[in-house]
Amino acid sequence: MKAALTPDRYVPAAILLFLLVLPWLLPNPFYVHIIVMMAVFVILGGAWNIISGYAGQLSLGHAAFFGTGAYVSTLLVNAYGLSPWVTMWLGGVAALLLSLPMGLICFRLQGPYFTIATIGLAEALRLLVLHFREITNGAQGLTVPFRGSAPWHLQFDSKLPYYYIALAMAICVLLLTRRMEQSRLGHYLVAIGQNQDAAEALGIDSAGAKRRALMLSAFLTGMAGVFYAQYTYVIHPDGAFGLGLSIQIALVAIVGGVGTILGPAIGAVILELFIQSTQIIFADQYPGLELMVYGGLLVGVILWRPRGVFSWFHRVYQALVARLPSPGRAGS
Amino acid sequence: MTQGNVVLDIEGLSKRFGGVQAVLDLSFQVRAGEILGVIGPNGSGKTTMFHLVTGFHRPDRGHVRFFGREITGLAPHRVCALGLCRTFQVAKPFPEITVHRNVLMGALLHHPDPDAAATRAEEVLRRVGLDGRAQMAAGSLTTIDQRRLEVARALATEPKLLLLDETMAGLNPTEVGEAIRLISGLREQGLTVVVVEHVMRAVMSLSDRIVVLDQGTKIAEGNPQEIASDPRVIQAYLGKEYQRA
Repeated sequence: MKAALTPDRYVPAAILLFLLVLPWLLPNPFYVHIIVMMAVFVILGGAWNIISGYAGQLSLGHAAFFGTGAYVSTLLVNAYGLSPWVTMWLGGVAALLLSLPMGLICFRLQGPYFTIATIGLAEALRLLVLHFREITNGAQGLTVPFRGSAPWHLQFDSKLPYYYIALAMAICVLLLTRRMEQSRLGHYLVAIGQNQDAAEALGIDSAGAKRRALMLSAFLTGMAGVFYAQYTYVIHPDGAFGLGLSIQIALVAIVGGVGTILGPAIGAVILELFIQSTQIIFADQYPGLELMVYGGLLVGVILWRPRGVFSWFHRVYQALVARLPSPGRAGS
Repeated sequence: MTQGNVVLDIEGLSKRFGGVQAVLDLSFQVRAGEILGVIGPNGSGKTTMFHLVTGFHRPDRGHVRFFGREITGLAPHRVCALGLCRTFQVAKPFPEITVHRNVLMGALLHHPDPDAAATRAEEVLRRVGLDGRAQMAAGSLTTIDQRRLEVARALATEPKLLLLDETMAGLNPTEVGEAIRLISGLREQGLTVVVVEHVMRAVMSLSDRIVVLDQGTKIAEGNPQEIASDPRVIQAYLGKEYQRA
């Protein structure tokens, strides 16, 4: 018996196929760069969404985990010649370890303490990296030694392989989020995000659940940091640990829709398109205007769509699926 | 009603908030299978007592034992996991998710598999008469249904002892009748229940025994008839001059 070819099966398959051929349709590498960055922000927004979306613990310092992954990996690559395929895991683990004391200290309390601590952590790391110049090369940052086309060292002479790696990582994050959402932990995070006292009264170990969510979130963010360092060949403290990055990670999920699987993916595409296109349009004549337009977009989203744009997309998608034919069923 | 073993043993419990002695040297016991009513004027320490027993506040002095085990100062989730579950005076639903998923959160405690917990949640919703509202967002429920939901979530954790904090406040007389039926039904299913309540009719008809608090201390304990005629209770509620009337 063959499975029916229903729209809810072939539409996602078509989207996946589209994503696979997309870079071949784009006229030049700059556009491929944009979709690589989109995929990176899908990973980052998706990771952020686990602790800040589902569990409602607002982080404005995810750059701490991103930068830790990027720096740990690049230092290891430079010092020991390790393959980034290995350091990617080590960078993720380093970010996870960094999250442990955060979780232990902050999740005993309710209120804004966690948010403040995340900002402080990222800022403290940025200053430490600036200070320990002998190791980190200070404000100049670190570079990944260029090896040409070396797949084992995660270096390619075309942007295409980077795109497929980032796409695979992004899809993994989304699948992981879906799995988590359906698990006991996922339910518990939602309960904690809605009312922590009520969750505790029902036997939910809120501090423990939040710690686990933060560990997972930090690990994925650290891995994304490693990929980014390899992709751009250079990292510096202001970029990797900066508040701007932390805020952009948060905005990707907020614009898309917090606490939903696909929200960060939609948010990443919208924000990246917006940032890049306004830069192209305004950068020559009116430098700085793109930031004002960007700010306007954020105000608009928070005023009119505080839950993100996901629900719109969801409705459109449902309507589409309902209207499309199902060839498999028509015959039976 | 047969007097069972001691389920909850509260001994010498005290708690001060700044200049207010909320609970002072409070001791009483709850026995298996009974419904114990706790009454007292506003500010007499009833809700604070619940907070102390369930770990939301840490007592300054005193002990709480549950089935002989010391639980003083345990975190709320650990108290609940041991089988002592409470509801809140001001209902605290998870407002943006469905009624069914609210109850599922409680059921997950003993049914880690979400599918099993979902089935369990449906059973509990039928038991409290909320099955018709299962797919509504919890935040949009009426007052009585929010109270039902509080009870349903607590029941889903399969407690041995249930602490109900003013479940009937703000309900109309018909709804109070429904709530009384629901709670006495719980006892028939073998649950031990402590009710903190202002609605006298409910306390008197439900409780096997009643503990009366005033200014953080116990001023009387006994069956409903004894309490209704106790001069100290009348004084606490109505003031001294009514005592001889």
